[in-house]
Amino acid sequence: MSAFLKDLVELPFLQNAVLAGILCSIASGIVGTYVVLRRITYIAAAISHCILGGLGAARYFAVVYELPWLRPIYGAIITALAAALTIGIISLKAKEREDTVISALWAVGMAVGVLFIFKTPGYNEDLMSYLFGNILMVSREDLLLIGILDIIVIILTLVFYNQTMAVCFDEEFARTRGMAVEFYYLLLLCLTAMTVVLTVSVVGIIMVIALLSLPVAIASRFFDRVWKIMAASIGLGVFFTLAGLVISYTPNLPSGAVTIVLAGLTYLATLFMSTMKKPISKNAEQQ
Amino acid sequence: MSSDSLVKFTNVSFAYEDGMNILENINLEIEKGEFACIVGPNGGGKTTLLKLMLGLLKPTSGTVEVLGGRPVDRRAHIGYVPQFSRFDASFPVSVLDVVLMGCLQRRFFWGRYSPDQLAMAQQSLADVGLKDQALSGFAELSGGQKQRALIARALMSKPELLLLDEPTASVDVHGTEQFYRMFSEMNERFSIMMVSHDIGFVSTRVKSVICVRKNLQIHPVTELTGEALQKMYGLDVHMIRHDHRCTEKGHVCPHS
Repeated sequence: MSAFLKDLVELPFLQNAVLAGILCSIASGIVGTYVVLRRITYIAAAISHCILGGLGAARYFAVVYELPWLRPIYGAIITALAAALTIGIISLKAKEREDTVISALWAVGMAVGVLFIFKTPGYNEDLMSYLFGNILMVSREDLLLIGILDIIVIILTLVFYNQTMAVCFDEEFARTRGMAVEFYYLLLLCLTAMTVVLTVSVVGIIMVIALLSLPVAIASRFFDRVWKIMAASIGLGVFFTLAGLVISYTPNLPSGAVTIVLAGLTYLATLFMSTMKKPISKNAEQQ
Repeated sequence: MSSDSLVKFTNVSFAYEDGMNILENINLEIEKGEFACIVGPNGGGKTTLLKLMLGLLKPTSGTVEVLGGRPVDRRAHIGYVPQFSRFDASFPVSVLDVVLMGCLQRRFFWGRYSPDQLAMAQQSLADVGLKDQALSGFAELSGGQKQRALIARALMSKPELLLLDEPTASVDVHGTEQFYRMFSEMNERFSIMMVSHDIGFVSTRVKSVICVRKNLQIHPVTELTGEALQKMYGLDVHMIRHDHRCTEKGHVCPHS
């Protein structure tokens, strides 16, 4: 811990990592709440895996055609939004077989990514960092982009809070009120896509879904209002990512994995605690 | 058409994508002020009828008019109460939040709900007897209370027509009677149409019963005999139609 704090003051990449962890937890706490309430964790996972295609393609074109401005994260943003809109439109139009299409996109996105990365000349070791994340590799430029996406997510959530809530709670009723249900659903998926891109830089493609859903799952055990769950999830997200970073630092462990294991253990602990506590609190209510 | 018309179905047929005809050649005209109950066997098209009135479904052929216009254009004046059992039982919202969702419309507004809207939500909650539960969590309510909260939400649009889908599906007999008393009171302010599978109990307070099983029969409440029920549920009633209705004015036959 003390070694971490000492290095934090001196090393800019460590400062970037801490900032990235905080920024990403804000978006994932807010959007993760929607994802869990609207029960679209499967879609969020598919979007995150599709991102590999975008990351790989962007890197390939950057190296082969010497386009230094083309950062992998740009490819990730485009692929994530495209995947979100594709899945969204398919699930709105064709109610059946939705999961088949989502799974297909999930796998094809990854396959395309693997092919691009394989064909990219030079050093390709960072395939692993896309899959499992490496918060220590977040650059200043990434951080700026993460900040911008964060602000977009926060503003859109504030503006559309009542509407998105109503659509998550009862889509059919919202439709009878004449609300543009399809628009809000696609908006939600695009917010999810942007958040997934942010989170990929912290925990990687494979573990994104845990950071989106676990803090919300823990928070829902203690709070019964959407905005409280959002706030608590942000707090938990910050705690898990920073604790993951600190714990992994000295023994040189992958921080993303440590973060997810921490979140998972905490979830299990709250699950255990609340099954123990439940009969007692029920009695207290009745008295 | 007359301005007194609440709902008018003209030669309406409806089939889902798999081609099964759910409704066949429905003709129905209901006047304002009605308290009607739609009954029929499962899969007979009760809920489909309701969704056609809400504009959630479009008829395969024929026209549906509600409150003198297309359902899609008139839905601001239609209050819809779905079955609460469809919902995520642990959704983290307060009862007041749920009721306020009734304010949302096509036109977008952002920010907090206005004091007028809050006052109206409190009034709606009082109307359904949930005044003291405004700040409770929706998840904590009993089945009947959840249903009342959803009725309060529908009241937020100041409906001219309230459409309810099986409002008493999971309420006990005593609670059911309370619900019907509440509906009778509300019926003095606006028209009510509901779907129910529970015919025996319904008949005491509703004004007419509409029986749906692919096609349609309208019974005056007093004539709903065992024989009629048996026909509706047991036998194929393809050729049987009663355009006979019972309103405050007595029996009328609108189409004959």
